[in-house]
Parts: sequence; C-alpha cells; structure tokens
Amino acid sequence: MTGRARARSRGRARGQETGAPGAQPPPSEEAARPVPPPSAEGELVGRGRQRRAPGAVASEALLQISAGFQQVKIGERGGRRRDFHDAGVHTRQLMEHVKESKTGVSGSKIELRANFMRLLSRPQWALYQYHVDFKPPMESRRLRSALLFQHDETLGKARTFDGAILFLPHRLHNTETVLCSETRHGERVQITVTLTNELPPSSPVCLQFYNIIFRRILRMLNMQQIGRHYYNPDDPLNIPQHRLTIWPGFVTNILQYESSIMLCTDVSHKVLRSETVLDFMYNLRKQCGDQRFPDACTKELVGLIVLTKYNNKTYRIDDIAWDHTPNNTFKRGDADISFKDYYKTQYGLDITDGNQVLLVSEVKRMGPSGAPPPGPALLIPEFCYLTGLTDKMRNDFNIMKDLSSHTRLTPEQRESRLNRFITNISRNTEAQNELSTWGLSFENKLLGLTGRVLPAERILQGSRTYDYNPWAADWSKEMRGLPLISSMPLESWLMFYTRRNSDVAQSLLQTLNRVSGPMGIRMQRAVMIEYEDRQESLLRALQQNVGPDTQMVVVILPTNRKDKYDCVKKYLCVDCPTPSQCVVSRTLSRPQALMTVATKIALQMNCKMGGELWSIEIPLKQLMIVGIDCYHDTAAGKRSIGALVASLNHGMSRWFSKCVLQSRGQEIIDGLKGALKGALKAYWKYNNCLPSRIIVYRDGVGDGMLQSVVNYEVPQIMQSIKTMGEDYMPKLTVVVVKKRIASRFFARIDGKLTNPPPGTVIDTEVTRPEWYDFFIVSQAVRCGSVSPTHYNVVFDNSGLKPDHMQRLTYKLCHMYYNWQGIVRVPAPCQYAHKLAFLVGQSIHKEPNINLDDFLYYL
Amino acid sequence: MCRNGSDRMAALFSPPLYLQRYQFVIEYVKRFIPRKVIDLGCADCGLLRKLKFHRNAIEVLAGVDIDCAALRERVNALAPLTIDYLQPSPRPLTIELYQGSVTEREPCTQGFDLVTCMELIEHLQLWEVEGFSNVVFGYMNPCAVIISTPNVEFNPLLPGLRGFRNKDHKFEWTRAEFQTWALGVCMEYGYSVEFTGVGVAPGQNRDVGFCTQIAVFQRDAGVSNGPVNNAVQMEPTVYRLLYRVVYPSLCDNNIFQRTLVCQVLYRAESLKREFELGEQSMQSDLTACAHSLPPDVVAGSTVVYRHRSHVFVPLQHVWTDPKVQALCGNIHRLRQALMDDSRVQLDTDRDAIILPDEGEEEEDEEETGECEEGNLTPSPVVDNSEEDWETEIG
Repeated sequence: MTGRARARSRGRARGQETGAPGAQPPPSEEAARPVPPPSAEGELVGRGRQRRAPGAVASEALLQISAGFQQVKIGERGGRRRDFHDAGVHTRQLMEHVKESKTGVSGSKIELRANFMRLLSRPQWALYQYHVDFKPPMESRRLRSALLFQHDETLGKARTFDGAILFLPHRLHNTETVLCSETRHGERVQITVTLTNELPPSSPVCLQFYNIIFRRILRMLNMQQIGRHYYNPDDPLNIPQHRLTIWPGFVTNILQYESSIMLCTDVSHKVLRSETVLDFMYNLRKQCGDQRFPDACTKELVGLIVLTKYNNKTYRIDDIAWDHTPNNTFKRGDADISFKDYYKTQYGLDITDGNQVLLVSEVKRMGPSGAPPPGPALLIPEFCYLTGLTDKMRNDFNIMKDLSSHTRLTPEQRESRLNRFITNISRNTEAQNELSTWGLSFENKLLGLTGRVLPAERILQGSRTYDYNPWAADWSKEMRGLPLISSMPLESWLMFYTRRNSDVAQSLLQTLNRVSGPMGIRMQRAVMIEYEDRQESLLRALQQNVGPDTQMVVVILPTNRKDKYDCVKKYLCVDCPTPSQCVVSRTLSRPQALMTVATKIALQMNCKMGGELWSIEIPLKQLMIVGIDCYHDTAAGKRSIGALVASLNHGMSRWFSKCVLQSRGQEIIDGLKGALKGALKAYWKYNNCLPSRIIVYRDGVGDGMLQSVVNYEVPQIMQSIKTMGEDYMPKLTVVVVKKRIASRFFARIDGKLTNPPPGTVIDTEVTRPEWYDFFIVSQAVRCGSVSPTHYNVVFDNSGLKPDHMQRLTYKLCHMYYNWQGIVRVPAPCQYAHKLAFLVGQSIHKEPNINLDDFLYYL
Repeated sequence: MCRNGSDRMAALFSPPLYLQRYQFVIEYVKRFIPRKVIDLGCADCGLLRKLKFHRNAIEVLAGVDIDCAALRERVNALAPLTIDYLQPSPRPLTIELYQGSVTEREPCTQGFDLVTCMELIEHLQLWEVEGFSNVVFGYMNPCAVIISTPNVEFNPLLPGLRGFRNKDHKFEWTRAEFQTWALGVCMEYGYSVEFTGVGVAPGQNRDVGFCTQIAVFQRDAGVSNGPVNNAVQMEPTVYRLLYRVVYPSLCDNNIFQRTLVCQVLYRAESLKREFELGEQSMQSDLTACAHSLPPDVVAGSTVVYRHRSHVFVPLQHVWTDPKVQALCGNIHRLRQALMDDSRVQLDTDRDAIILPDEGEEEEDEEETGECEEGNLTPSPVVDNSEEDWETEIG
C-alpha cells in the first residue's frame, strides 16, 4: 500500500499513536488499502469532541457529582472546571458479579511498565478545609487573598485559597481562628477561619487539589499552558516547510486508580504555527482569488483555535465578521473606542492592515463572579496565531508524514522523555519545596505491573482454518489463495474511467479477474464506461448506466479530489442504492503493487455486496453485538451523526448498519433507538428469533460524558429493547470504548523496551476502583508506541465472567473486514465509525434503507 | 502605589487616575526611549505589566517593593506569553523583581536610564525622605527620575475625604513643598526638574493644580558618579531577587539561528514548490524540455534548478524575502549564518540551498514495513472450539 493511503484511510480518529494527528480518511482512495482503524487519540489536540448532554441531564448529573464533593469545587483562580475524568461515576457497585473481582485469568503473564507514578504522602496525611469569612465583606478576591495572607505565621506557607475556602496541610490550633487585618487604606477587617472538613487523601476534593498543585509545578518548570495541557517552549521542533512549530509537553492527571493515587503522564505535542491568521488569509486569497476567498476562508478557519498576541488565552474561531474592520468601535466603559485605538493604548500594538475583517469567537467562559458570558469576542487576525492543523493540512500526506516523524515516539523514546520529566521535577528545588510544604512526593519511577497476553485466535475461513503470527497481528499472507466463506458472483457490474486512465482500467480489470478466482469469486467481464473528467459528466454517466440490476459500480478517479468521490457516493448511497467502489488512478499506477491492490479491492467489493470473508469461534449463542460511534461535523453547522452497526449471525460476518443525522440539541441515542429496533427486527428476519444477549460497544464518548451515558443512554437502550415485546428480556451489556486515553504500556523483551504484544490485557493497578474496566492492546503498530484501548463496562446483567468479556472483546477486534488483521476496537465500532464518517464527510443524508444489510460503506 | 486607595477618586477621573499615571510614564518612555527602567514601589506590578507591552526600546525592566507577598501574587503576569516564544522579539528583555527598601543602597539598581517612583514617597516617614533622595539621586544616579505624589491642595475637591488620602500616608505635600524638595535635590545631585501632573480639577477650580503632582528629573549633562559596568550581571547584595525572567529574543544566538533557518527553509521550500509546479505544467503540455541541466550550465545560476536528485535554490532568491532581509541585513551575513548550520545544506559555491527532491518517495513503505517484527516466540494459538462460555456463567 502507499503510505498516503495508510495515512488517509485512518479515519478522522487519530493515526497510529500520536503520529498523524487526526489524519482524515480517504475520501477517494478507499481501495488502496483497507487500513487499520484509528489507533490513538492524537495527542495533538483534535477536533469535534462530543458536546455535553442536553441541559436537564447535565445539570442533574452535575448535582450528583457535587453532592459527592460536599458541594465543594475548587478551581485555580476561582474558575469553573469541567470534570474531564468522569470521577464520581460509580457503576461497578451495581454489578453483582464483579463486586469482588473484575480481573480475568486467560493468557500468559507479562511484565509491563506503565506511564504512572505513585503519589506518596506522609502517613495520616489529610487536607484541612476551612471556611473564611470577612467582616466587613470584601468584594475583590485578590484583596481577600492579600488580607488573609498577611497572617503567614499563623497559616504557614502551604495554603490554597480561592476567595472563600482555604486548604491547609495541617490543622490550626483552634477550630475557629479570628484574625485581624488592615487594608491599604486603613480599614480594619476581621477574618474568621473555621474548620469545616478534614479530607482524606483520596477524597475528590483532594484529587482536584493535587492536580492544582501539579499544575503549579509545571509552571515552575517554565512550561506554558495551552488549552488543558502544558508545553515546553524552550525546545521547539520546527518544520519550516509548513511553518509549523511543535512544542513537546505533557498530559497529566492525578486520580485515584485501583490501589493508589497516581499521576498519569503522557507525552503530548502541540502544533503551533508561526504565522498569523492575517498571513494565512493573505496566502489563501492569493491561492484562490477574491471570488472564492470568503467561502474558502470560512471553511478553513472556522473551528480552529487561535492564540492571541497580547494574552495567553485561546479562542475558537466560530465565524468571520466580514463587515467589521479594526476601525469599528465597541463600548468600553461609557465611551466608544475603535479596535485600532484599543490595542494601541492597551498593548502598544499597531494594526498595519486597517481593512482586515475580524474573527468572531463565542466566549463560553462565565463573566466575572458568575455573571453571564460576555458575548462573542471580536479578534484581530493580525494578532492571532493559529494552533493545530486545518483539515486541508490533515489531508496533506507530506505534512502528516513530516509531523509524525517528529511526534511519533518509539517506546524507548517515550519512556526516556517521561523519565527526563520525572528527573526535572525532582531536580527543581522550587518544585520540590512546593511538594514538601504540602507533605507530598512522587515515586520517581514508572509503575511496574503485570498484564496478560491473550492467546492468538484461530481464523476460520470456510472449511479451512489458519493461525497468524501473533506479533504481526495480520493474516493477509495466510489467507492468500484460500476461498472466502461466501462470495457474491459478479455478473452485472460497471467500471467507469476517464480517457487518460483507460489503460489503468484495463489492467485493473484483468488483475481483478486473476485474483478473484482463488478466492472463489466468480466474475463476469465488467461493462466499461468512459466518462469525461468533470463532476457533471460523471454523474450523468452514473445516471444513464446504473440500473436496478447493477450489482457493483467501480469508479476510477483521476485525482483524490473529494468532490467527485462525494458525488459518486451521494448518488449511489441515497438516490440509487448500489454498492460502489472508488479507486484513485494513482493507486493503480505501480504495476508491481497491482496484485496486492486488486486483491484488496476484490475483497472489499465482495464485502460490500454481502459476501463474508472469515470468521472466528464465538462461544456464546444467540448473541447480538452492537457498535455505536458518532461523527461531529464541526464545520457544517456542528451537526452530529450517529451510526449503529449490529451483528446478524453467529459468525459475526453479517451486519445491520444504520446511520442517523442528529438534529440540533438532540442526543445521538434518541435517533439510534429506532436503529436498534431495526437491528432487532433484522436479527429476527435472519434467525427467526431475537437475541438472548445484547452487548453494546459505545464508542465516541467524550471526556466528562460518561455520566450521561450511564444515566441517559442505557435506559434508552433498554426502552428500545422493550418495544420488541413486554416479555422479551435479553441480557444486556453496555461497554464504553475509549481510544483517546493517556495510558501507555511498555514491555521489556530481550532487554529492549517495546510495545506490548497484541492481545495484552491490563485489568489491575491502573484501572479505576469504581468501574468495571480494563485495557486491551489489540493491534500491532510498525512504528511508534501502541495505544491501548480502554473498555468500561457501565452496565451488565449478563453474568458473563470478566475473563470472557475481555476475550470476547479481543475476538471482535479480529472481525473488521477492511483489514486483514486485528484492529484497535471491536469490529462493529470500527464499522460504525466508517459509516458515520462517510455520511458526515460525503453524503450528508441518511443512506437508502435498501443498503442496511450490507457493508456498503467500507 | 495605591490603586485601592483611589476608590473615591474613581468617579472623578476617567480613565482612573492610576491609569493616567501609567499613561504618563508610557508617554515618557515613548519620547525618551530609555533602555533600562526600574519601578520603585511596584506593588502589584501594574506599571511593569504596562511597560512590558509599551516597551519601545526597554531591555531591562526591574521592580522593587518592600512587600514580597504583593510581588509574588502577580509574578505570573510578567512571564513571557506563548507568542513571545513563537515570534521572538528583535530586542532582549529581562524582567527582575526585588524585595527591598528604597532607602537602602543596592548595587543592582545602579546604571538605570529611568527610575519611576509613583505614589511612593508619601508612604515614607518625612525623615526618611532625605535618605531616599540620597539613594535614588546620589547612589542609583539614573539619567531620569519620575516621581509622583498626591497634591494636598486638591484634597478639598475629593468628596468625603478627611485627613490624608490613605491611612498609610505619612505626609501629603502642597505644590510648593514638593517643588522645594525637588529643587533641593536638583541642587545637590546635579539634576534639573520639570513639574506637571495628572488629574485635572473639574470646572473652574484650576488653581489647585493636578490631583497627582509629578516631577520629572533629568540628570545634568556630564554629571555622573562614574561609569557603571552594565555587562556584569550582578547578584543583589542587599535586596532579595524574587523573580527573574529573560524573554526569548533574537539577540540570543540560538534563537536567532533557529528563526532564520526556519524562515530561509520556508522560503526555499516554497520556491521549490513553485519550480515543481512549473515543471509539471510543462510536462503536461508535452513541451519537450530538459529539466535537468548539466552541471556546468548550472554553476552560479540564479534560477531554481534540479540536479541529480536534488533541487537547488539560489540564495539570491531566498534573499528576496523581506523577512529574511529583516533578520540578516545583507546577503553575506545570511550566507555566513547558514554556512555552519547543520539544518541547511549549501552547495560548494555557497550560492544555493540544496533541498532533497522528494517527489515520489512515499511509495515503498510496504517493502520496508515488515522489518521489525518481534522475535518473541509466538504464544500458542487458542483452540477454543470446545469452549462454551454459557455453561460457565454462574
């Protein structure tokens, strides 16, 4: 396969580990090589996170959380913060069969190292929470701090005060201490400090508190905060040809893990650009001309995050104010002031281009002291610097390649970066002082733990079975020359090509013929149709030639331009439901690779028409596996698309797929309820019975969204099942699948630090005590560090043993037909991802229901 | 010094008086372009933060206050911004904060171009003022000093005010008192002074003067306590250094080199791209054209050309980029700077930048991809055809 195809086919989800930050999948080269599913969460900040649940649910969830916190939330500088770690969601206690143990037993033991460090504290360590009252009351938070901190000798050096609540690492002599301070202009203020709580080390407030302390430490190490993470500005990596600057940094969080409180830290990279939005606009205008500029500009910029020249805040561009320039004025106090004058007087900054249009950013942050958000901010392009990548850059193979060569780290490189970070903290006296005044320290080595490597699976293909090399986790070689489980004969099919590609089309046709025989695919000669290299003429050719009997349409595209691909897919998925296969001519241009490419195309075509490739043993009967994922279209009206894919047979080789477009303010699951019902009906149609167990793998749950899955989605799923009949009560399991996680595991093999082998399961130490969760490293990566996938069983009345749950999950990672190997998530999640992505990127409409029983979107 | 004390004046002045005082200093800095500025009694560093943005040519910005809690609180606001790293300034900037008293002599405070001392002296005891004058004018001996203090004559116009404007004030001077003191200082230490102020009285009460009176002192030409060696970075002996930050700037050789190389390579790469696009369009026009010239034709060429598997971009072309020009000044300096940099490859004549021609190199991953398969003995394949998990469910 070509590297390009690999980079592209990976889907919106990030590429192998950090490498390709959010590589876009192949609009038009799908055939080149079916590629393993998205592996890691990009460490580079991605786009399209799921938004919060609708109002009611969210506030209810919040209430519960804060009740657990004794109504306390501390923020750095008094800000509000979202709970990104889903703390306070206690699902395990409700599942009888995993209360005692949630660990599996299968497989061989393996010694691993994880990117975790234990937090150590003095014995009997506790955090003392005080309420602080001022008489007379003081408005300004800063003033309150200043007044309180006049009493160093009483309070000690270690303290955290957010304006009302004071935390100390030690107990004051009395439960109530009265202090007197004086303001600068001589007003006497009485301060009452009352003990309200003694917090044990693992209390949620303490955990929040550790994170705040750790952020202070990162600042002491001279790291810059951008968004949620910290980066080191002194050692940038530059990719001059694309004007990119990469800052290495760390994602950190301190949480209560299975047996101890630990710091989880992973290497992260921030992509910054050394050009302003104005520079970017100039270049864009030069490239696409005045006419197309406004459209192109909106498309490229909306959704991007910018940094401003005069403060350290980041803003998301939500719109462009085409009718505003720096000469426009805004109200400042009572007077009107122009943007130009404002920046001059406030920051001494001169605006050189008085005609630039302004950027609009909706400020979500609350105003001072809980006031409503101040409304949209208008920003000057000349003072804004872009961060992250545009969609166009993500699609640029060369950029992604250069980027991943910098950001992709081998396990050894990753470990040494983490170790250097640990050393830096332990050598920095200021940081050590901060920690020791609070009586805290970190174990200065990475956590060692034991995992298990699940045995490799045997692949069943019709009457034949074979094994694969467990390290490669790939069986493309092994399946060569073997007949598929079932194949659809190709009797009536069409191939479209442009004149320039007529040779390529012919050789593809011949090669397809050659490779399809051994696989058991009977193939008649295709009807060859030439089209002119224009979108309208391609569409006309499709309309004139594709009929109700057409089984398959192959289109050879001259370039990887997205519009033609979209046009083919739109027509053949919505208006005229027919399986289709697009190939970019370039993919076929190398004769020596043609066999490989044609084999993959033949397999893919077969799947799209309803053929089955291989299977594995599933020791459960009457089982339906459901995969759910969603795609967030950030640019086009922020619409989300949900996809549900459900198995229809025991061999997990037939699937029902449904995609719904979510309307504004609606939850994904509302639309998918109908899809689940459809899936159950389809199951009935194929099996003459309903499944007795349903296992739902829910992907695409953002940080901080877990509560809404548990409280809202699970009941909705149950309700949907209920509609099949009052007495129908299948066993139900709901598993939240997460790819974007900071946890990493390393194995030491032959004295060398490597990735853990595929099939490695981790279900101790680094899991969370309040969850029934585990990690699986399922895929093999060729370069960089592998990303484990986190599985969190949030609901389970099946009684299935944890060991079987883990093994079933791993087995399902073998069943993605677009990749002859093991993928990162269970196949239905990967299918759902692919479907949602196709609809979100190209079709923008619900596909025709006649296609529901086929994997037409592969 | 006291922002908080100005509550009752807030209604009277717009913008608020403290901002007017800051603005006064900013205007002064704009006119006289000092390089080293020290703010005595910097409190919450408000003026320093302003000057950081309106720095003109300021290279050293220092602050002194006796209250270290106030300083600590706002230290983060003086740290470089993310953008300061992304776009290093051409000029250096160092910010230092000291804890100490303005009546003590501290070697670090010598050699400044401008000393600002806003709303400070009235917090000293009257008997300390002479010592203060001696330290600031006699010892620190800067080129210029700006001192502001309340004008007590203005007080009757402040609603509801009894006594001094702030409880901590030990005295408040009339214009005459202030001027007498200032002229005395000039006599003794060789300065000249001008009086002005901010905060104009409303209506017809012009004769009370400004709300804040300001004296701007200039050291008389040729009068100096001898040269101060700026080059030596002194550690404070009396004061305590609380914070010191050196902003990234192009004066740092590494940063300069990095910035230059980035700009040069960006320019060179875009020239290469243009060249390749030109080539492609020629090819598609089927114009017969040799796109790889023999080396002898090529030497000293001023156009982008391809030779073997490399693209050569002449320095002359890179030089046309205004940003490169701004960084280097002349092309010889550019060549010199690029010569010893491992990130840039020059041809033997040092006239062109050599870039790899990576046109089609993206292809061969499959062949090389399988190199690193592990050498671990494969774990046994599970034979689970006999298994039935259903029966095991308790």
